[in-house]
Amino acid sequence: MIRYDCFEWLAPQMTDQLVITSLSGQRVEWGHLSKRDADLNLGSMGNALAVGIGLALALPHRKVFVFESDGSVLLSLFNLPTLANLNPTNLAVFVFDNQAYSGTRISYPSATAGKTDLAAVARGSGIEHSVTVSDLEDFKKEATGALSEPGLRFVVCKIEESLGHRRITRSDMDLLETKYRFVRYLERTEGKPIFQGRG
Amino acid sequence: MKAELANRTVAALKEAGIDFVTYVPETRLSEILPVMKADGSFSLVPVASEAEAVGIAAGASLGGKRAAVYMEGTGLFVSTYNLLTVGERYGVPMLLLVAYVGSFEDQRNSYLFTHYGNKTKGMLDTLGIQYLIVDSANQLEGRIKDAVRMMHALKLPVALLFTGEFTE
Repeated sequence: MIRYDCFEWLAPQMTDQLVITSLSGQRVEWGHLSKRDADLNLGSMGNALAVGIGLALALPHRKVFVFESDGSVLLSLFNLPTLANLNPTNLAVFVFDNQAYSGTRISYPSATAGKTDLAAVARGSGIEHSVTVSDLEDFKKEATGALSEPGLRFVVCKIEESLGHRRITRSDMDLLETKYRFVRYLERTEGKPIFQGRG
Repeated sequence: MKAELANRTVAALKEAGIDFVTYVPETRLSEILPVMKADGSFSLVPVASEAEAVGIAAGASLGGKRAAVYMEGTGLFVSTYNLLTVGERYGVPMLLLVAYVGSFEDQRNSYLFTHYGNKTKGMLDTLGIQYLIVDSANQLEGRIKDAVRMMHALKLPVALLFTGEFTE
């Protein structure tokens, strides 16, 4: 299974769900396949899950998807017990685990290439629905469940390392523009101001 | 912190519109937590690290909450990367309520804290985070109000460093 195939199937399913992406190729691939105002590409490791938790708590009636990577989750493992105890039932976390720091250009192995099982870490932290999927059909089942059912979901997607994102032309939308696009979308759809401070 | 100051701090935060607080409890200002809980108008989010306290507050702020992060001054050093990558680089308003341990006016200062305290302002300056020091009770409500106004105007994290009377 490769990440692009997962995203290619999932992107057309999305309606008003909020999506937070981390760094790595997933940011490039999701940004290429999904052009929605409801997407927030963070462009940093170790932050997407925390930001997603905050959004899910602030907007409990909205479904929030977080796309993470193994390296990014490993950088902020303290998120997992926090997530378990907060248990936002409108949050679905998909960790695309290629067992490598592929951005290093030398495919340096991450801890999940060794002994570490992130789904087991999440379960041990107290996240009940914590599973690993390794093929596209199982990914579709989990993603369909996340789209249609409430409940905190933590899905480790074992993927092959793919460098296809390096052939995709990257967006010229910078982080501030991404933020404002996202926030203005929320203001429209939630019917309330987000940012204060008028000139 | 004395009960009266804890009550006034929480009342001022509420008056300024703060409604979402992530936190790692510490030793100087912790009396605000039961007051906020009893008040009922704050979403209180306990976390394991100040790093995620900043990230969760950022997400809540982008979702329309008026977010604060309550932490010990040492937590600023833990969360430096997150303040920079999510707070400053993305431009997300949040109020940092910081127990300014290790500062001159910290009434419980010791060798355990001063190596953090004497670098706190320099670190905030490096990050470009505006801050106010709150070291006496007569400043309390005004500085909270000023800091919240500034965080909305800048759309950035802004810090309040509590020391002096607040560390007794």
